Amino acid sequence: MYLSKSLNNERMEPRGFVSKKRYLLSFIIATVLFILIVLVSYSFSYVELRRVSALQGETAYNIFEDKLDYTLFGKEVCFEESFEQISSDLNFQGRIIDDLENKLGKDDPGVLFRKKFYTLVELEHMEFIKLLNDRCDLGMSTILFFYSNDNTDLGRSEEVGRLLDSVHSRNSETLIIYSFDVNLDSELIKKLKIKYGVANSPSIVVNEGKAILDPKNIDEIESRLDDFTGFDENGVPIIYLN
Amino acid sequence: MDFIQIVIYISVYIGLFATSFYVLSFLADKKRPKELFEDSELPRVSVVIPAYNEEASIKATLKSITSSNYPKGKLEIIFVNDASTDKSLEIAKNFKSKIVKVFNRAKNSGSKAAASNYGFSKATGEIVFSMDADTIVDPESLIRMVRFFKNKKVMAVTPAMILMDVKGILARVQHVEYLMGLFLRKAFASVNAIYITPGAFTAYRRSFMEKYGLYEEGNITEDLEMALRIQSKGYLVENCPEAPAYTVPMYTFRDLLVQRRRWYFGLINNFIKYRKIISTKYGDLGAFVIPVALFSIVLALIVTGYLFFKLIFDIRKELEFLQTINFDFSSIYDLNLYIVERFLYHLVSNPIVLFVLLFVFILLFYLYYAQKKIGKSFELLINVPIFFALFAVLFAFWWMVSLFYAIFIGSVKWR
Repeated sequence: MYLSKSLNNERMEPRGFVSKKRYLLSFIIATVLFILIVLVSYSFSYVELRRVSALQGETAYNIFEDKLDYTLFGKEVCFEESFEQISSDLNFQGRIIDDLENKLGKDDPGVLFRKKFYTLVELEHMEFIKLLNDRCDLGMSTILFFYSNDNTDLGRSEEVGRLLDSVHSRNSETLIIYSFDVNLDSELIKKLKIKYGVANSPSIVVNEGKAILDPKNIDEIESRLDDFTGFDENGVPIIYLN
Repeated sequence: MDFIQIVIYISVYIGLFATSFYVLSFLADKKRPKELFEDSELPRVSVVIPAYNEEASIKATLKSITSSNYPKGKLEIIFVNDASTDKSLEIAKNFKSKIVKVFNRAKNSGSKAAASNYGFSKATGEIVFSMDADTIVDPESLIRMVRFFKNKKVMAVTPAMILMDVKGILARVQHVEYLMGLFLRKAFASVNAIYITPGAFTAYRRSFMEKYGLYEEGNITEDLEMALRIQSKGYLVENCPEAPAYTVPMYTFRDLLVQRRRWYFGLINNFIKYRKIISTKYGDLGAFVIPVALFSIVLALIVTGYLFFKLIFDIRKELEFLQTINFDFSSIYDLNLYIVERFLYHLVSNPIVLFVLLFVFILLFYLYYAQKKIGKSFELLINVPIFFALFAVLFAFWWMVSLFYAIFIGSVKWR
């Protein structure tokens, strides 16, 4: 082999760090970017919380206005179509609150308050729908969905939630779904559970009938909807039995 | 926060830290003093090209290297025909001249390393290039790379490896990967942390090989071993991004898998062999660059593995759900403004999505640098999205296969 300059006299020198200051600077940049991005993403949730608060206020106002128009001033409610928009708004707000609960945690005071308020607005709306059904033979079905965010029931609750979304999508003209977190520290929910005999979650109550624990498929729910023909003069659901 | 989220956030933080370090190193590299040969000082150079059945590419390879602007009196090209059964030898003989020497081995050497070593043993240059028989170089690449050898500590110089003939989805993924490598190699060079010298085209100082040996013939990634050997002896590996060298991608899934299995298996074995490098005694390379690379591989495997199994689980769950609604698709995929709005909220309120966007931006910066060095490539508009969609999954898959071979089989073949 051709002889080139030998490296025999070369010895390895200890290798230091090119720049320790660069590591410090990198640490600072990475930490600032990391915190900044986490804060930015969370700031969207707080904006959303303020938004849902405004939306809830508006929806509650609309429901109260409609009800008072009827009870105080005898307004004809049978031609009132705003309930459809309100139902849709409520559904949307429920989804926002679900998302916020996932992002900010179920113990976040802001989220907890919104959930309680949402429950109140839902019940207020439910009562109004019942009134419409009663007075105007509207034939709207209702499903009360009792879910839980506890780790043990969360998976099944989510699945039933999706099942109900599907049921709603197929019966959007005649069905309203109200959902309630059974773990929410609310006297109203406790009373609702007792009223409808809800012991465990996820459970649903179709047209104020008996509670169904953990429904497994769409047919099981829709068959209950099909049995319903309306409310009698005392507000009791009339069920058609095959 | 569950385990996988913690892993993802740790990965992101390490990624941010490492990227910040590399970008700062890259920016600092411009101020780094470099000793470069003047034209009159350029040493004699030998380019060794081993070939086994390379008739399809060898003509273009020899044409590109003989068109080099390197002073002809200081250049020799050593073509080693490793008992090809095709027309490689005949084609090479057409190039035979004072500069191009053709050697024919009657019996196949059994490895590229052995054929290269045969060529190195015939070399007379102070600097020896290892070049693949399907690599094409820019006429200026040799001169630009050799200039770095003025610094006596420099034992190897790597080029800007770029892919040519990019066709098909897999080639597009590799195209972006190689272009990213241009930036990273430059950043690594600034802290002397290059631990891979591409066998497709790299220049070595011959005196190093004389003292510490030629390519290790039993080593499946002999080029990687050589780089680690240079680093372990305390010398420098430089990078010259202004010296393009073009190679072909792997076009089929199988070929690409075989190539990566060989690379990663070789990486595992050579890191084990040179594990002493992973220490603060080896400066930035041992204390930061290699540990971060290893850590990234482990985290990528955990995250991608998790996502893969989650995907399978989710598909199964979705099918079960579809069964509960009697496969009435119209009732679940109802796209309306509310759903779109919720989807957008999920995107912007998820820190991981924002981190991904940041890394996309960083990648685009890498590619901007690559384009400045090698010229614009409008194909990137197609290739970048494909890269993002596939690379992580492919990377994890290649690593899983390579680890499987390393743990349970213990060896891999070249092809």
